[in-house]
Amino acid sequence: MRALLCAVLLCAFVSRPGRAQVVDLALERGTAGRLGLSVGDTVRLGTAPDSMLRLGVVRAIYQPRPDPAEIARRALQARFHLPDLAELLGAPDRVDRFGLALVAGVSPDSAAAELNRSAFGFRAYPSAQIASESSQTFQVVSRFHRAIAMITIVASAVFLLCIMLLKVEERRLDAAVMRFVGVRRRTIFYALLLEAAVLAVAGSLLGIVIALAAGAITNAYYQRFFDTQLVFSVITPRIVALGVGLSLVLGLAAGAIAAARLVRTRPMVLWGRA
Amino acid sequence: MTGLGWGIRSLGRHPLRTGLSLAGIAVAAAMLLDMVMLSGGIDKSFGDLLLQRGYQIRITPKGTLPFDTEASLPGARRLVRTLRADPEVATAGAILGSAVYARTPDSLVTLFGYGVQPESQGIYRVMAGADLAPADTTGLLLSAAAAAVLGGARVGDTVMLAGRLDPQIAAAAEDRSLVVRGMVEWLYDYRGQPSVGAVLPVMQRLARQATGDPASLVLVRARADSMVEPLVARLRADYPTLEVNSVVELVAQAKRRLSYFTQLAHVLGAMSLVVTVLLIGTLLTITVNERLGEIATLRAIGIGKATVVSQVLAEGVALTVIGSALGVLLGLATARYLDAILTSFPGLPAAFSFFVPRADTLTQAAVVLLVTGSLAGLYPAWLAARAPIAATLRAEAT
Repeated sequence: MRALLCAVLLCAFVSRPGRAQVVDLALERGTAGRLGLSVGDTVRLGTAPDSMLRLGVVRAIYQPRPDPAEIARRALQARFHLPDLAELLGAPDRVDRFGLALVAGVSPDSAAAELNRSAFGFRAYPSAQIASESSQTFQVVSRFHRAIAMITIVASAVFLLCIMLLKVEERRLDAAVMRFVGVRRRTIFYALLLEAAVLAVAGSLLGIVIALAAGAITNAYYQRFFDTQLVFSVITPRIVALGVGLSLVLGLAAGAIAAARLVRTRPMVLWGRA
Repeated sequence: MTGLGWGIRSLGRHPLRTGLSLAGIAVAAAMLLDMVMLSGGIDKSFGDLLLQRGYQIRITPKGTLPFDTEASLPGARRLVRTLRADPEVATAGAILGSAVYARTPDSLVTLFGYGVQPESQGIYRVMAGADLAPADTTGLLLSAAAAAVLGGARVGDTVMLAGRLDPQIAAAAEDRSLVVRGMVEWLYDYRGQPSVGAVLPVMQRLARQATGDPASLVLVRARADSMVEPLVARLRADYPTLEVNSVVELVAQAKRRLSYFTQLAHVLGAMSLVVTVLLIGTLLTITVNERLGEIATLRAIGIGKATVVSQVLAEGVALTVIGSALGVLLGLATARYLDAILTSFPGLPAAFSFFVPRADTLTQAAVVLLVTGSLAGLYPAWLAARAPIAATLRAEAT
């Protein structure tokens, strides 16, 4: 059994210790990199800088599963055999937590409730509950991102409406000329609407490309910044559909409003001679 | 008529497009305001929180931050005595944090226990009742959350605390009957954290750390702020086996941990500025194109290029100022909403805030927004200035 290192200090040096006095340990990849250690190196171990009495040999370097909760802490981590760590900490036969595997068919909730009825000095939790509680941080971040996204969508929607309105109004003279030569209002309306739709589609496609590029840059930057394999920006088909759908609906709505205003205006006013 | 008056009248000709532009600028300005508050708020809030009681230095076990691990530093009271004798130190106090248990009629409840030296403490404020005396080994301090967990305990009530539980024999190695002396607010507790406090030796026994005189951290207050940096350097040299940090350094470390939010704030703030520039630039460019005939006529009757340019720029300034004013109101409202989301982070001190208005950064943001909005009018102003008078008038006449 292995346990996570808890406030044990490591001090690296090179020596050839006797086999009996050393403990084996595995170092997390980032920790090994930061301390400049590799497999076979010997380290001094202790619970305080002035009591580094035990020796340890790095037997393995491991890559932990990416954990969003840990990326900002950048804690130095090592793993020991449980008895070695307990002895090192001066706390024999003491652990922070146990993991229990239940036999098939037993409900984790009822097993935890049963244990808690007689619990003294400990508390049992179903894994799902621990997962839920430890994901609180990410639920908060996720809610924050959603709130920012809502503000961004409102800003984008206003921007889109404004641009589309200006774009259509720019065609005042064209619309006037078409009206003078006998083109029907409905035809002009649909032509302007079509133009708005083409613009919205083209803008959406460009937006997807920019989003993909921004996502790739975000991932590359933060994976390097936090030295992790976690993915920070994920652009799913649902997100693309939402973005494209929103821009199309807003673009067409803005185009329709602006085109309707334009075709209702007298041609001489459009021409600027009224 | 002045350039500004002319610009405002020009904007009034197209109320729909002006309204939409103002709405866009307001949302972008609100986002910029929020992001400026976020980027500067973390360190301001954290710094204020750490300095609430005036202790500028924290001493912790080597390689750790306060309450970041369960590690403790030994010989706490001797260390505190030495520090208090230092001529540059105004006072110092040790704190031990540990889980403790309270017996209720039907169960044991888990609490967070602080062991303190009441004569030099920087982690609580007495809200009701009295503070502990330095040698009060039978007194207890409760937070409102702890009092609620203990069935509405009040000043004068007796609480039975248990420590060093042994699950195998279902017994506590340490039981203490303590009388509630005061209700306090623990400055670094998260919302709803049930915390209790006793004098350091009592908590050391309850935390099964009676030997070695351990503490989680020692708070140090220098006699003057100007003494903090040299004192930190000296303490580091004197105590190489301990971690000595000033509040400024702790704020910097917290900022590094929360760098994601700072960077996000910078990116979104920059995007807000870009949106503002695009909106103002596009609106003014189209407006100028529509009014080329009018501009050419003005030029033909002797109005100078500078006047035309200033009028277009004034339109940009008017849009920016009005949009930003609306944006401030919107931004303050959204900042409260966003702060409510982020401060619900588990384990974050209840007094911490992410969105903190600071006069210097807000002024900086306002100046940047105003300058950017004004610069957005440069291209349309240039278009207006270079319009050929004769050709434009001829085109208008045909």
